[in-house]
Amino acid sequence: MLVVGFTMPHATKGIGPVMRVRGMEQELTEFAEFYESTREDCLQIVLLNVGDLHLAQDLVAEAYTRAWMSWRKVRALEVPRAWVVRIALNTHVSWWRRRRREVALGDHDTAMPVEQAPVVSGDLLAALRRLPARQREVVTLRLLLDMDTETTARVLGIAPGTVSAHLHQAVATLRAAIPSHYGQEISK
Amino acid sequence: MNDSDTVDVVRDSLTTAKDSLVGVHVNTPLDAIVRNGRARRRRHRLTGLTGAVAVTAGMALAVTALASSGHPASQSGHPASHPLTARLAAWTVAKQANGDIKITIRELSDPSGLQSTLRADGVPANVSSSTQFDPSCQRYPMTQALFTSIYHAQKGVGSGNTVLVIQPSALPSGAGVAIGASVDGRPGGRGLHQVPGGNQTVHQPVHHVAALADNTVLRVGLVYASQQCTGS
Repeated sequence: MLVVGFTMPHATKGIGPVMRVRGMEQELTEFAEFYESTREDCLQIVLLNVGDLHLAQDLVAEAYTRAWMSWRKVRALEVPRAWVVRIALNTHVSWWRRRRREVALGDHDTAMPVEQAPVVSGDLLAALRRLPARQREVVTLRLLLDMDTETTARVLGIAPGTVSAHLHQAVATLRAAIPSHYGQEISK
Repeated sequence: MNDSDTVDVVRDSLTTAKDSLVGVHVNTPLDAIVRNGRARRRRHRLTGLTGAVAVTAGMALAVTALASSGHPASQSGHPASHPLTARLAAWTVAKQANGDIKITIRELSDPSGLQSTLRADGVPANVSSSTQFDPSCQRYPMTQALFTSIYHAQKGVGSGNTVLVIQPSALPSGAGVAIGASVDGRPGGRGLHQVPGGNQTVHQPVHHVAALADNTVLRVGLVYASQQCTGS
C-alpha cells in the first residue's frame, strides 16, 4: 500500500481537497509504476558507465528522487527513463568534482562486507568510460536505451547529424576495444 | 565491415555486458525516494522565505542559546528527551511528535550525556568527541540515499548551531547512529568516502555537518548496533 499522506501547500482555486488528493495519488501511482518498471534497466546502464555498483545505486536513487520532485515535467517527456539516466550520469560528473575535496579514511576505518559486486570491467567498458561526455551520452541513448537518432537528437537538444557524427566517432573508439575474434566471427 | 556493421558489433557487445548485470538491483525503496523528494521540496520552499523570517528565526535561536546557560557536565543524568526539555548549553535533544529526534549542537562536549539521551529516546547511538573511530564499532555500509533518509542536517539560522534531525524509523534493522569528530572534513561537506577493501572499493557515506570549536568537524554516520557500540 502506497503512502499518500501528502501535505498540500499549493492550494488550487476551484479544485476541492478530495480532487487534489486523488490527483496526488495518481501521480504517486504513476511514479511508482515508472520506478518499478525502469529502475533495474537504468541501474545497469549507469553501472556500465561508472563501473561501481554502490556509486551507481546512489546515482540512480538520486536521479529518481529528482524525477519524483519534477514528476509532472518528467512524465511528459518523450523518454522519461532517458532523463533519469542522463541525470544520474551528470550527477556522477558533479560527484567527481566534489570528491577532489574529500580525503580517504584512516586506518581506523575498516572495510565492511558488501554484496559481491558484479564484474563491470574490461577494455570495452573502460573505453566507454573514457569517451567524451557527449559521445558517451549518445552511445548510452542510441545503443543502450535503443533510441533512434531523431529522438536522441531531441533529448540532447542537438541536430540529428551531430548525433550521427558523435556515434560514428564513439563506435570507432569502442570497436577498437573489442577483442578481434569477435569481429572475425561477425565477418564470416 | 561497414559503419552499420560496426555499430551492430558495439551494440551487441554493450548489450551483452548489460545483460550480465541482471543480478544487480536498486536497493533504495520507493518510499525513501518519495520521502527524500518531499523533504527537498519543503527545503526549496523554505529557501524562498523572506529575509525577515530568517532574521526572526536567528533571533529566536540566539535567545534560546542565551537562555540555556547550564553546562552539560553539570546535568545529573540525561532522561529521555521530549519537546521543550533537555535544553543544554552545548546541545539540545528534542523528540518530535512524529518520532524524529532533533539535535541542536553548538559544541560536542559531554558526548556521553548526548549518547545517553539518544539511547533513552530509543536511538542506538555511539557518540564521541574523539576523532578516532570507536574500535568497538563497525561501520554500516549503505547508500547515500538511505543515509540521507535517516539524517537531515542544516545550519541553524543565525546561531552557528547545527541542527541534526534523525529519523529513527528509517534506520535499518541492526544499525545505529554514530556521531563523532573529524579532522579531515569540510563543514557542510557530504559525500562518499572511499575505503580500501581488499579487491573491492567500499564507499562509506559520511556527512560533515558543523565546524566545532577546535576546528574539527562534526561527523555523522551509521554503525552496526551492538551492546558495546550503541548500547543495544
